[in-house]
Amino acid sequence: MGVAAIDRRDVRDNLGDDPGRRAPLVLGKHDNATITDKVCRIVEMPKPPKAWYVAFGIALTVTGVLGAMLAYLISTGVGVWGLNKPIAWGFDITNFVFWVGIGHAGTLISAILYLFRQNWRTGINRFAEAMTIFAVICAGMFPGIHTGRAWLDYWLFPLPNQMAMWPNFRSPLLWDVFAVSTYMTVSICFWYMGMIPDLATIRDRTTSKLKGAIYGIFALGWRGSNRHWHRYERAYLLLAAIATPLVLSVHSVVSFDFATSMMPGWHATIFPPYFVAGAIFGGFAMVLVLAVPCRQWFGLKDLITPRHLENMCKILLATGMMVGYAYAIEFFISWYSGNPAEGFVFINRAFGPYAWAYWTMVFCNVATPQVFWSRRARQNPWIIFGVAICVNVGMWFERFVIIVTSLHRDFLPSSWNMYFPTWVEVTTLVGSFGLFFTLFLLFLRFLPMVAMAEVKAVLQKQHHEAR
Amino acid sequence: MPPLDPKSGGRALWRSLDDLAGDKAFQDAVGREFPLYADEMLAPSRREFLMLMGASVALAGMTACRRWPVENIVPFSHRPEGYVPGERLQFATSYDRNGAAIGLLVSSFDGRPIKIEGNPLHPMSLGATDPIAQGTLLQMYDPDRSTGLFERAGQGEGTPRTWDEFAVWAEPILARHKASGGAGLRILAEPSSSPTLLAQKKRLESVYPQAVWVEWDPLTRDAEREGARLAFGRPLRRHLDLGKADVVLALDADLFMDDPAGLSHTRAWARRRKGEDGVMNRVWAVEAGYSLTGASADHRIPVQSALVPVALGRIAARMLRSGLTLSAGCEGLREAIERFESHAFDDPRLDTIAADLLAARGRGAIAVGPRQPAAAHALAMALDAALGNSGNAVTYADDPEPARPGHLEAIAKLASDLSAGLVETLVILGGNPAFDAPADLDLAKRIGSVSQTIRVGLYDDETSSLCRWQLPEAHYLEAWGDARGWDGTAGVVQPLIEPLYGGRSAIEIAAYLAAGAWTPGYELVRTTWSTRLPAAGFEKAWRRVVHDGIEAGAAPALTPVFAAGWGGEVARLAEARQLGGDAMELLFAKSSAVHDGRFANCGWLVELPDPMTKLTWDNAALLSPSDAEALGVKAIGDLVTMSLPGGSLVLPAFILPGQAKGSVTVNLGWGRSRAGRVGNGAGVDAYPLRTAASLWRAEAKLARTPGSAMLATTQDHWVVDTLGRKEEQVRAEELIRTGTLAEYRAKPEFAREMVEVPHAAPISTYPIEYNGHKWGMAIDLSSCIGCAACSIACQAENNIPVVGRKETWRGRDMQWIRVDRYFEGDPESPGLAFQPMTCHQCENAPCEQVCPVAATVHDHEGLNVMVYNRCVGTRYCSNNCPYKVRRFNYFNNHKHETAVSMMVYNPEVTVRMRGVMEKCSYCVQRINAVKIPAKNAGRPISDGEVVPACAQVCPAEAIAFGDLNDPHSRVRALHDDARCYGVLEEINTRPRTRYLARLRNPAEGKA
Repeated sequence: MGVAAIDRRDVRDNLGDDPGRRAPLVLGKHDNATITDKVCRIVEMPKPPKAWYVAFGIALTVTGVLGAMLAYLISTGVGVWGLNKPIAWGFDITNFVFWVGIGHAGTLISAILYLFRQNWRTGINRFAEAMTIFAVICAGMFPGIHTGRAWLDYWLFPLPNQMAMWPNFRSPLLWDVFAVSTYMTVSICFWYMGMIPDLATIRDRTTSKLKGAIYGIFALGWRGSNRHWHRYERAYLLLAAIATPLVLSVHSVVSFDFATSMMPGWHATIFPPYFVAGAIFGGFAMVLVLAVPCRQWFGLKDLITPRHLENMCKILLATGMMVGYAYAIEFFISWYSGNPAEGFVFINRAFGPYAWAYWTMVFCNVATPQVFWSRRARQNPWIIFGVAICVNVGMWFERFVIIVTSLHRDFLPSSWNMYFPTWVEVTTLVGSFGLFFTLFLLFLRFLPMVAMAEVKAVLQKQHHEAR
Repeated sequence: MPPLDPKSGGRALWRSLDDLAGDKAFQDAVGREFPLYADEMLAPSRREFLMLMGASVALAGMTACRRWPVENIVPFSHRPEGYVPGERLQFATSYDRNGAAIGLLVSSFDGRPIKIEGNPLHPMSLGATDPIAQGTLLQMYDPDRSTGLFERAGQGEGTPRTWDEFAVWAEPILARHKASGGAGLRILAEPSSSPTLLAQKKRLESVYPQAVWVEWDPLTRDAEREGARLAFGRPLRRHLDLGKADVVLALDADLFMDDPAGLSHTRAWARRRKGEDGVMNRVWAVEAGYSLTGASADHRIPVQSALVPVALGRIAARMLRSGLTLSAGCEGLREAIERFESHAFDDPRLDTIAADLLAARGRGAIAVGPRQPAAAHALAMALDAALGNSGNAVTYADDPEPARPGHLEAIAKLASDLSAGLVETLVILGGNPAFDAPADLDLAKRIGSVSQTIRVGLYDDETSSLCRWQLPEAHYLEAWGDARGWDGTAGVVQPLIEPLYGGRSAIEIAAYLAAGAWTPGYELVRTTWSTRLPAAGFEKAWRRVVHDGIEAGAAPALTPVFAAGWGGEVARLAEARQLGGDAMELLFAKSSAVHDGRFANCGWLVELPDPMTKLTWDNAALLSPSDAEALGVKAIGDLVTMSLPGGSLVLPAFILPGQAKGSVTVNLGWGRSRAGRVGNGAGVDAYPLRTAASLWRAEAKLARTPGSAMLATTQDHWVVDTLGRKEEQVRAEELIRTGTLAEYRAKPEFAREMVEVPHAAPISTYPIEYNGHKWGMAIDLSSCIGCAACSIACQAENNIPVVGRKETWRGRDMQWIRVDRYFEGDPESPGLAFQPMTCHQCENAPCEQVCPVAATVHDHEGLNVMVYNRCVGTRYCSNNCPYKVRRFNYFNNHKHETAVSMMVYNPEVTVRMRGVMEKCSYCVQRINAVKIPAKNAGRPISDGEVVPACAQVCPAEAIAFGDLNDPHSRVRALHDDARCYGVLEEINTRPRTRYLARLRNPAEGKA
């Protein structure tokens, strides 16, 4: 009867909003075997598709360029960038905050949505987590190379040394070191742990001895016993609980770099929530940028369904409005506080020489997500992809605006200056994308990009419910 | 054991003379030196032998690790008095520039001069120096200096020669000239005040009676000399004592930095700017270009330079109408002065000036700049006499060389002699006439046509390339000499180091030309001084002069009597007309950096921002905002073409508020082609536009040329939009708090009340107490003239690198103390205020909190210290510094250092590597240099013992430094002064460097 009819409809599309039943999380007539096949096939293909080679070739070349830029930078000096006084941070820290922001979505999806029992996360969590890790790698690189003497960066860690010198625990930059490295560690643990059952699946299916050995090592002897599953579920829950505050703390700490300083435009209490919202916003946009083409190319439309995309669009809309609210409240507070230096920074942002950057940011981050009020826009992959790209651009500009426009006209007008990036900075930014995509493409090729075990779990549920 | 016998191989190293001699006793001693092993070596068992051999083979490699260089350490057989190796020693000397000297004390480390300071005993220095005198140190160590003798046949680099080879060439020529009485011999020299050189000149004149000694100074101040000749019938020197002047009128005159007595003027002026007893002097400036005097003036009227004499005439006329009577001899002027009343140019403020000068009879001074014609100078002299200023603030003294023809006259005569073929041998002593002589004299071509040319110069420059012989000149820090200050005070020039490139001084070469044999400079100077000093006790007196650097006693003041019959000259001044339309007056000006061009290769000076424009590495056409708009010049660096009858020039424009409308200033000395690695191609050469008829002022047509040049300024990078400019105005008022004398009298603490400072809560729950010293600084904005001597003194003291045009353009200039400049009011006639800005050593320092590696920390004496070794270069401290005084080494700024250029560094200060932040340290090395001996002696440090380089050099005494814990220190008193305020105090940084509000003394209480 009716159930059967709904069932058939669910095979095609899960966008219905019938409050009486849950929308299915996997489309098509899938069972455990087909899901395993679908996901493992990508890894097991003897040769990846040509497109992968092309993409990987480009990404690797760009990474090579990044390497050359870093070599040039470290051998010559930070002067190869366009920094000056008063603008001692430019693309370097902009890129750092941008990539850290991207790195937020993965753990948010994995940890927070897990704790909130948002089962739709299963389709996207694996590659969102991978994206997080690669983004954090890119992010971590920038503070490392932006220093004048990069070979002494280890002084930022509280390592025992003969001088009995500690780092300065009052410095937000040091907090950054702790926050980002903790986040990185927990993210890797979370990602890897979640992957163990899937790695075991690949191990079991592979015919190659070498692959079997390697996947075997990383599968840590997983046999899928009840006891294993029990331990696994507990540990996963625990890690999710540990990771959840990190999602909020990392970007809060990153925002302290600015918020605890004296600079008008930086010195604002709104920064931690504002940065976290922005990071989620940017992170989800990046997940969309990756998900939309991946589900197409790797035939994963059944697992990453239109409903997934729609949900993410809604998050984008919500966080975009939070960010917009932050922009507005910053202006309000700068006026309300009666601090003339603060007031000038914001007027200068909107109408000064970097107004173009400011309005690009506002357009991309506040205006474009508004299209997602429309249901049709939320379901059109082209529009989704376009808006997500826009949001990424906008979020990069947000960091640029915060850093550069605050610095370029600070307290003493005698020091005011302009900042123009050099080709080295621009190439380094492009190169960081090369590094990101190189890692991501390697991930797609060698690791299960969808969490099979978890999808199977929600599949069971769906079947159960449907029955 | 290696053999001790030197003949048996290896290098002949020996331990002592006994060793070398193979002395028996020594051989025995060696045997005894290793008594434990003597047996093993003599009678080893098989095992022991193998053991020893094994060990020897294993250790043999170690001995090969290093071949010890032969180093001869030769002790002083007699250590010079008071010399301690590695300690700073100061020697007195004098530095002559354009014929006027200032006294110096040069610090030396182990025979290496590293810092120049003014000689407090010298009345023309009073302990201070100008920026250029600081730069001469780097000039001496310039690796691009002429490194030896070169002989050139035609163009090219020349063949290296020795002094002996030069003598072989020169002797027959000199003999020939001697025989002919020197008819074809010309000596072209730069002005010098040296009594010894003057003596050599006299000797030359007696040996070669028909030879001509030509003196040329591109920045000649002959106009005043000629003015005195007009007024008094003979050339006189005019001296100003600004300490006695209540009202000063500066007509196109920069009394501070474009004046041979500028340092003493600055000191005297600044002492009367404090307003403490409710009185201040007042300065009126009437000028075309913005000068430092104009910036410090209480009123400044921008007027085309050609109209400045008219302004003076109108003031004179007004004073005559008010009943001023002219002095005896000047009565004939009345008619001439009345002619000015009908001139088209007028300004209501001129009446106020007249009234002001009249009210301050006997307590005023009228100064006229070197650009103005002689008649204007004469008129000013007449007015000073009539007002009773002569004998008070204005005095006269004899010219040291009254018979000398004017510079322009002399060089024109030389040019005509050259073209007439009257010159066989031309000796050029210093200067750079091929570069800086008036263009229409075509001196470069004419010098090239003489076959026997001897050029003595510090550099192998434009003139050298035209001469047969280039002889390296010894720098003044390398040679003996003497010099007189503008006031006549004579002093000895004492060498601090052997000539780096084997150069000889102009004195020695002039003596050689006269005598045909070399006499050491020391002998020549001593000979001269043996006539100046009393014969009885000469040695003692001579030692005293060398030690002190000066011989006390200036030229005596005299009361000159006016000559008659020069009214016509003054009347002609009234014919000056105002330029308008596309015709503008082009003014040539001395460059604050490269002077007349001679310092073009001195990185410190080339990179020192011009006080007004903040321009480095370039000169530009300085235009008023309205002229710029009319020409279509939108941004600084837009190119303009200047067309004169004699030629045209394309150069970048710079919009300078306060430049007189219709007047464009171009600094001379830039655009050198053979200056060296630093100076070549920096700026545009304006000398080709300068002719004998228009030495200082020409009429030019300006037009915008497509294109734009990259000008590196250290302030106002890029065009600041209206939004930014408005904010700048608002902030400048709070940064440089200014009040009139009347406001100060009514409320002395007006500055403190301009910005509300939040209640001071304790910085920490563990309050830091400074029980020992508590260093602090106070900068008096009322006396700062903005000359930037502090910037360059700091650069020299603290080994601050020069970064180059491109880096400066990027905004990476390195000077630890900069002088911020803000305009105020109407852009066509703005006021100007300076603010030296350096590390404030904040008590609650924003930089310290954010450094992740604790590389910048507070010390127990309140200094915010920068630990270079610890710095990783995150630059966070710079971002968080509200004063933006931190400087980052973006590159290795010492990459191109040579063995010679490295010698300039102060060994007490670390040379920073790339990737490290640096900043003002309050000259911590100087603090320690005082603190340690005081501690050893168990005595307290008295106030004024510790003087940072910036405070030391300041001619205006605007910077005070000392211990805030000392209740009697000057800095404590200034911090407690009613005028004292802290910049950005409202953000709770608690700065240790505080400012004293700027006071103005406008007429009738308003600006």
